Amino acid sequence: MVIYLKAGSKLRERLKPDIDYYTRRIETEEGKTIKEILADIGINPALVAFVYTSGKVKGLHYIPSDGQSITLQPPVAGG
Amino acid sequence: MNNGLAGTTLRVNLTTGEIKRFPTDEKLFRRWHGGRGVIAKLLYDEVPRNADPFGPENIFIVNVGIMSGCYIPSGSKTEFGSISPLTNGHGDSNMGGHLGPMLKFAGYDMLIFTGISPKPVFLYIDNDTVELRDAAKYWGIGSLDCEEQLKKDLGEDFEIATIGPAGENGVLFSCITHDFGRQAGRTGQGTVMGSKKLKAIAVRGNRSILVHDLEALKKQVAEIIQRTKKHPNMEPWQKYGTSFFIRWSNDNAVLPAYNFKTTYYEDVGKIDGDQLIEHCLITHKACFGCWMNCGKYTKAVVEGRPVVHLEGPEYETAATCGSNLGMKDINHVAYINWMMDNLGMDSMSGGGVTAFAMECFEKGFITKEDLEGYTLKWGSLDDVEHFLDMVVHKRGIGEWFAGGSKRAAEKIGKGSEKFAMQVKGQEMSGYDGRWAPGMLLSYMTADIGAHHNRSWTITVDMAEGRESVEGRAKIVVYLQHIRPLFDTWCICRLFWGELDISPEEIVESLNHITGWGITVDEALRTSEMIWNLTRCHYLERNRDIGRVFDYPPARSWEEKIPSGPGKGKGVTKEQVEKMLDEYYEARGWDENGNPTREVLVDLELDFAADNLEKIGFLGKPIPGGVPPIRGEKYKPKAF
Repeated sequence: MVIYLKAGSKLRERLKPDIDYYTRRIETEEGKTIKEILADIGINPALVAFVYTSGKVKGLHYIPSDGQSITLQPPVAGG
Repeated sequence: MNNGLAGTTLRVNLTTGEIKRFPTDEKLFRRWHGGRGVIAKLLYDEVPRNADPFGPENIFIVNVGIMSGCYIPSGSKTEFGSISPLTNGHGDSNMGGHLGPMLKFAGYDMLIFTGISPKPVFLYIDNDTVELRDAAKYWGIGSLDCEEQLKKDLGEDFEIATIGPAGENGVLFSCITHDFGRQAGRTGQGTVMGSKKLKAIAVRGNRSILVHDLEALKKQVAEIIQRTKKHPNMEPWQKYGTSFFIRWSNDNAVLPAYNFKTTYYEDVGKIDGDQLIEHCLITHKACFGCWMNCGKYTKAVVEGRPVVHLEGPEYETAATCGSNLGMKDINHVAYINWMMDNLGMDSMSGGGVTAFAMECFEKGFITKEDLEGYTLKWGSLDDVEHFLDMVVHKRGIGEWFAGGSKRAAEKIGKGSEKFAMQVKGQEMSGYDGRWAPGMLLSYMTADIGAHHNRSWTITVDMAEGRESVEGRAKIVVYLQHIRPLFDTWCICRLFWGELDISPEEIVESLNHITGWGITVDEALRTSEMIWNLTRCHYLERNRDIGRVFDYPPARSWEEKIPSGPGKGKGVTKEQVEKMLDEYYEARGWDENGNPTREVLVDLELDFAADNLEKIGFLGKPIPGGVPPIRGEKYKPKAF
């Protein structure tokens, strides 16, 4: 299946967007968690505080579905 | 003045009541960039080294900087400064909201208060009308209550900064409150206001701020607005603010719990951001010129108590007054947040002091008898409420804790200083640095004591390896230069840190406003100059080698993290010493942590070198000289 990961600030460089400035198309297997998908593409999950999709916050154990767009939120850098 | 300045500085002699107007010193702002920079220079020049922070010789400064109030993202900050009664060094702290812009609209860049008023007063500003007014009716009431009353009395369109009973009574970690929940919390700036019998500042104005190139500024900012609106992290920030990062801190072993005994809080789910949004949120709230609205206006509903309204808890308060106190209900955390806001206490230090007292009670160092028959148990709102009442009124042992955890530990003894979680007298913010050594070094070396806003390195620590300390010092130095620039310009850091606005873009805006034509490197150099001046000032006031002031409490290296994902982790004393050695080397200071003449002259601080030399604390020359560039811009490795 395909999901679309978005990232800005500190994570954007790691994500290597290919669709637009913030977005990368990811082919992955159904049933995988965001944490597992991040590990697959070489991003340390510890650098993602939570994900945001369809207006809701989700943890890294969230399992996305085909075609879903998901934003990676880095931890706040100390205010 | 087509340079972002409003044009006028006020000097208010509180002893005599005399108010004088001066043209704002453009050269001073050009060299020190306003905000924290101008404050650092004025404190250095005008306050005698032996002056009591509570005495008439201490000055209290409100500085709006260059960019606050201008057409610029989040140009909302107001910087306050004085000799800190908490650290006995240069003190500064800032808040967002609308006060600073309104001061500029009234025509003022800076307010300098001297002396001590014979009776409680507040400063009233309505454009050209500037008066000290009697504050007898406001003295003794809470910060939030006072703001509400002043708005009723003067008009809703006044912007108001107040102190609470804590500041009036000399609690050393008292804050200044504005906009019903924005605080200049750190370094006891509210304490100094209280010592001067200055209850509040109320301001209204309707003038324009002239800038160097308005068209270029409008064009640039319009582009930034469009870009940040599309930023993927904008919407989460708008909806949730900072409170959602509590769980991440817990998962990654940096969340302080039970007075920093551990970094794992088993009840994190009860105080995390989703609980705040579900149970407490009323509406979102933004500062002047900001479309991020990360502020959350909330209510705390606790059985048997009135429903109260507040802003927050934000991350720091949720950590220091939540997990660090063992609280198990987000409404209780919010209620403590409200209490501290209305009493006028910094919730970071207030949480730290309360947590320290709780551990003292747990260990039997203080007893029910000391606490007027109350206990002080983890997670007890009743106990916290009673303890804070003792502190704010300095009743019994409340007086010890009103001086902060360092001074309280000196009274209590029994080795309690090992777990008084502070540096230079100021309590740590909401991160534990035992398994994030760069963060620990950031606390150790911050010029105002253990505060996170000067340097925050936790993701750097993760990327570079949490077990090692090598190379961390240069990054901390760089962050200590770039991050305080925002407190110098009086704008919010979040657009830079979270929404990808680059330092180059911000300096471009600064140039459109001022016409200065400076570079980021020049701005960083100015920030380094400020940092070295505050260090010299600290040594001149406290008269010892710098290194002795830069150690964290012994818990930081004697106790490994006992539970959770960080179990067994922690730095050693040798690593703490190594980080200090590397830090001083990176700064061009000697091994004692004293600035050298070579680096001070390079920063055009010859006068400070002369002063340090006179008292015997000028750094010894370093064989091979000092580094030509201090600090190293951080480029993350592949994580």
